[in-house]
Amino acid sequence: MSDLALTPGVKDMFVERGRLFFGGTLGRVSARIGILAVLLAAWQYLPGPGMRFWASDPLSIVSALVGWIVDGTLWRQLLATLTVMSTSYALGCAIGVSVGLAFGLLPRLDKVMSPFIFAAYALPKIALAPLLIILFGIGVVSKIVLVTLVVFFLVFSSTIDGIRDTDPDLVRALRLMGASRFELIRKVLIPAALPWIFTSMRIAVRYAFSNTLLAELIASNSGIGYLIAYHSGIYDAAGTYAAVLILVILSVALTEVLTRVEKAMSRWRA
Amino acid sequence: MPPNSDATMDAAPKIQLIGASRDFEARGRRVQALQPVDLSIQPAEFVALVGPSGCGKSTILNMVAGLLGPTLGRVTYDGASVTGLNRRVGYMTQKDTLLPWRTVEANIRIALELKCRPTSRTDATAKVAQMIELVGLKGFEHHYPNELSGGMRKRVALARTLIYEPETLLMDEPFAALDAQLRLVMLDQLQFLTRLRKMTVLFVTHDLGEAITLADRVVVMSARPGRIRTIRNVPIERPLDVFKARFSAAFGRLHEELWDELKDEVTKGTDL
Amino acid sequence: MAERTAAGDGIVVWRIAIALAIPLVWEAAWRLTGSTWISSPSLVGRRLLGWASDGLLFNIATTVEEIVTGLAIGAAGGVLCGLVLGRMPVLAGILRPIIVAFYSVPLIALAPLFIMLFGLGRMPQIVLVGIVVFFLIFFNTFAGAEAVDEELILALRLMGASRGEVFRKIIGPASVVWITGGLKVALPYALVAATTGEMLGSRGGIGFLLNDAAQQFDMTSLYAALTILMLLGILASGSAARLEHWLLRWRHAAE
Repeated sequence: MSDLALTPGVKDMFVERGRLFFGGTLGRVSARIGILAVLLAAWQYLPGPGMRFWASDPLSIVSALVGWIVDGTLWRQLLATLTVMSTSYALGCAIGVSVGLAFGLLPRLDKVMSPFIFAAYALPKIALAPLLIILFGIGVVSKIVLVTLVVFFLVFSSTIDGIRDTDPDLVRALRLMGASRFELIRKVLIPAALPWIFTSMRIAVRYAFSNTLLAELIASNSGIGYLIAYHSGIYDAAGTYAAVLILVILSVALTEVLTRVEKAMSRWRA
Repeated sequence: MPPNSDATMDAAPKIQLIGASRDFEARGRRVQALQPVDLSIQPAEFVALVGPSGCGKSTILNMVAGLLGPTLGRVTYDGASVTGLNRRVGYMTQKDTLLPWRTVEANIRIALELKCRPTSRTDATAKVAQMIELVGLKGFEHHYPNELSGGMRKRVALARTLIYEPETLLMDEPFAALDAQLRLVMLDQLQFLTRLRKMTVLFVTHDLGEAITLADRVVVMSARPGRIRTIRNVPIERPLDVFKARFSAAFGRLHEELWDELKDEVTKGTDL
Repeated sequence: MAERTAAGDGIVVWRIAIALAIPLVWEAAWRLTGSTWISSPSLVGRRLLGWASDGLLFNIATTVEEIVTGLAIGAAGGVLCGLVLGRMPVLAGILRPIIVAFYSVPLIALAPLFIMLFGLGRMPQIVLVGIVVFFLIFFNTFAGAEAVDEELILALRLMGASRGEVFRKIIGPASVVWITGGLKVALPYALVAATTGEMLGSRGGIGFLLNDAAQQFDMTSLYAALTILMLLGILASGSAARLEHWLLRWRHAAE
């Protein structure tokens, strides 16, 4: 870029200094802390009595949160959410990959069914929640079924895509070498599908998370989602925001963990 | 009338580099990319810069275009120092920076859409049509860059650069990515267009043959950190037949001379 | 989406066969067992017809209106913020982790919060859809604006373009690729958001119909509502894909 500035005036130097400072780590962190501090202060002191009912304030929120930490509510609900999430995830992935492989290896089946799968995909799975409640009642089972379905669909369609995407030249080359159908599957198709499968499993974690929460909103009496629904239902603003805070922290933690795992895995693979 | 340094020494140079050098900061160290260089380019002159990779030829172009400033020395255009983007030049790079979402016609037209040179719709359309014809792309007006071959994209880039009639043309290995035949075709077209408009051209290439074919003067640069090793006039009548140029005796002699100089520098570069 | 393969006709025949078989088997199951849990295509069809003359349009319109309004606001805000922040690297650097944090939160889970704040009605859904769409589009636009090829910008500036012209002629169009990518994801997502909000607390919309049917254990209405929802979902994904194809014709041109 042009560094041909005419003799820099005082204002330019000031702007340049500012740019340099805030571009650096220290500057950025302090800027963030500054912004957050200002926002929190505004939240705490600005709203009038009418607004206060809806907006609550940071101190009350934190105290509600601390109360939950102490009386165990936080841990109970957290555990509930994580249990449902991981169980469904594991089930969904396992079933998704197996059925996906089956479909993928029978290309005819896959092609015939694709518009139906597309239609099923288009339905927001959360809409099945009321149906599942009728079938399984309010509780863990309906949540797990729902989230498993979601994860299944994702992994399933990615697995099929992965197999479909295999380089035909590769298949031809191995066929010419004399590979049997079984060997082809093992040595070419499955390895080719693996990146797709892994990618979808990564994405599925986030879907498992969000759908678990949604299921808890609609159909349950435990979990973080339930916490949010309960407190908003009784117009407890502080409690609601506290639950949302837990959600935010959990989400960020989950994303961090995922990122670390991904980095570790790609090192191992590459 | 082929310009050579004797006849036009009295006229004011269009571009001048006076002791211009350029350093870069790389990983905390100061690296000199270009040693102090003195170069004078007359109006309507075609000058080729040849040299090994990293010799600073692109840096010279960037300084004339106003994208960089010289660390030491001066770069002037029309007598005045270059400060900021030099809008009187057209710059054609190796990458054809066409806007992929615009058709050929729209891409060429863009320079005329800018507020700095208001052009009426009818004028612009006429000029674009003329330009398309000139570069031989008639019939492809409504194609997208995606649909064109590399050579065609280069022609669009050329058209786009020339349409607003810049008085000077800076070219940085524009035809490097084309195959040999296409390159000759483009050189031919370039010769025609630049002579037609009496443009001053600064042409960077690593192909000595290309340089001798079109240039009035060839500047050979040394390996990094670059400096001018030698400047030679090209004693060949212009305009010439681009396709047959290589077979003339004058071409061969000059090529041999300059190649000796260039070869030295190229091998120096590869030993690093 | 049409797949023309060598065995083209065979596949189409199979599809038609299955498309017919599913409702037939379903109908048969109902007639055999007489179970109200299963219901049947004929019953569902009749329910849909009944609804058609009694409020179905209103409910569909409610859901669609929520989606469109939220989409418009969210997309507009997302594009604006994305473009601006995309070209202000310092501010972007400061705000980045905060933005990423928000992005990782499943925003639809905030539906009850909005219902508490805005009451029962369309507002909470509109706000929910708006926020969800905003973040999706913002992120995409931001990435797009940051990633614009600097050489394109340089080329135009040398021609004499002003900052504003660079923005309008390069950064804007270049970001469209990313924005449409965001829209493709946002549209179906908006449907989910609107439906969820309606299921939780609303007096209109398809989500409401669904919930209402479930609360009364009315399976036929439940399946009917699901059918409508599926059709809406297909419409949403389909139109988003169409839009992308049209906006990005210069990409497909060579095919």
